[in-house]
Amino acid sequence: MYGEHGNKLVQHAKRTQALTHLPPYQTELVRAVAREVRDLDRDVAHLLSQFEGSFNPSQEPAIACALLVDHLCMRRNKRCLLAYHRVRAEKLEELCWTGVDLLEQQLPTAEEGAGGTSGQGMGGHVAMSSASGNHSSLSPEEEEYFRQYSDLLAAYKGQWTDIDLTGSLEPPKDLFIDVRVLKDAGEIQTEYGVINLTKNSQLYVRQGDVERLIAQGFLERLG
Amino acid sequence: MSYYDIDAILTDSQKLPCTFELEVPGLGILEGNPGENIKAGTRIDLPLWLGEMLSIGARLGTSRLVTLDLPSALSERVMNALKADPRTVELRSLAPHFYSLSERILELFEEEEMVEVLSNTFKKRSAEIADHAHNPQGALGQGADFLRGLDETERQLFRVAHDSAKETRIWAGEAKKK
Repeated sequence: MYGEHGNKLVQHAKRTQALTHLPPYQTELVRAVAREVRDLDRDVAHLLSQFEGSFNPSQEPAIACALLVDHLCMRRNKRCLLAYHRVRAEKLEELCWTGVDLLEQQLPTAEEGAGGTSGQGMGGHVAMSSASGNHSSLSPEEEEYFRQYSDLLAAYKGQWTDIDLTGSLEPPKDLFIDVRVLKDAGEIQTEYGVINLTKNSQLYVRQGDVERLIAQGFLERLG
Repeated sequence: MSYYDIDAILTDSQKLPCTFELEVPGLGILEGNPGENIKAGTRIDLPLWLGEMLSIGARLGTSRLVTLDLPSALSERVMNALKADPRTVELRSLAPHFYSLSERILELFEEEEMVEVLSNTFKKRSAEIADHAHNPQGALGQGADFLRGLDETERQLFRVAHDSAKETRIWAGEAKKK
């Protein structure tokens, strides 16, 4: 039966909507759907080839019906594919806004395979070799989308330097908080001087300075 | 209902029984025998997105391609059960997107009484859902069976009712935020 692969894809999308993270990209399924569309297209071309351009649906209702079914299946598959990718694209945008750096997160696994990519420390954009895409839950196109969307968002935010648009909407109760460092993040500059973030150390710092680092998973808030 | 709406797409994938009115070459794949013809009078379950368009084609003057029947989720038997007591029917096992399916079906069929039965069902069940959402009894409470039988629309309703009650409590300062 046509459309089964598309259906599975949409069910994946449905599950994705309920999750907080992004599950792996279904390369195989997407390919299967695309292949089905190509098969259907070949089928249509084959059916029409007998008529040499002078096909009259009312004379050949049976052929017309077969063509209609093929066409509808193709249209359905297109809808499934588009919807699947859109759900994922929206998820990526959401992650961008909450400050989760997907490309950063997958670095540990990427390093095993590619070897060459090293963590560039905190924030900003990390240059990734395309080889790391193998381990990623994103397709190469999605990685590109994520990167460019982050750039757009950064450019947009750059217009207002005194407000952090992606910052927390919760008014802080204390200006200073206790944090524990989960991953080495190097030195950061703050109003009160330089802090050195070495793994497992515990610090008492200004919340505004480390909010981004908490969101990115370098620091853990205590208490 | 938007083109990209996942729930709309899943609604469209639910099946309904169709009868082919003419012999079509090469469509045996719908029945599970690829390469063969499909004979006039064959009854198969087709997804809504396919069946609907094939039956609409019939209204445009050309000879009919397929005739549709009501899906089993909306059969006489189910309607009677809903009339008797809407709260004991497990809609989810009938069709995961029960209400959106019936909405689409009622665009195709003239069934005045069914509209009546279904809106009544929705009203009665909504009250029950709101009750469960505001007074949670946990996963093992007496309402568990009922909640398992909710269709997708009702699940969303439950979630909204539950979340809004919680938000109100937080706003009023009775409950603490996580």
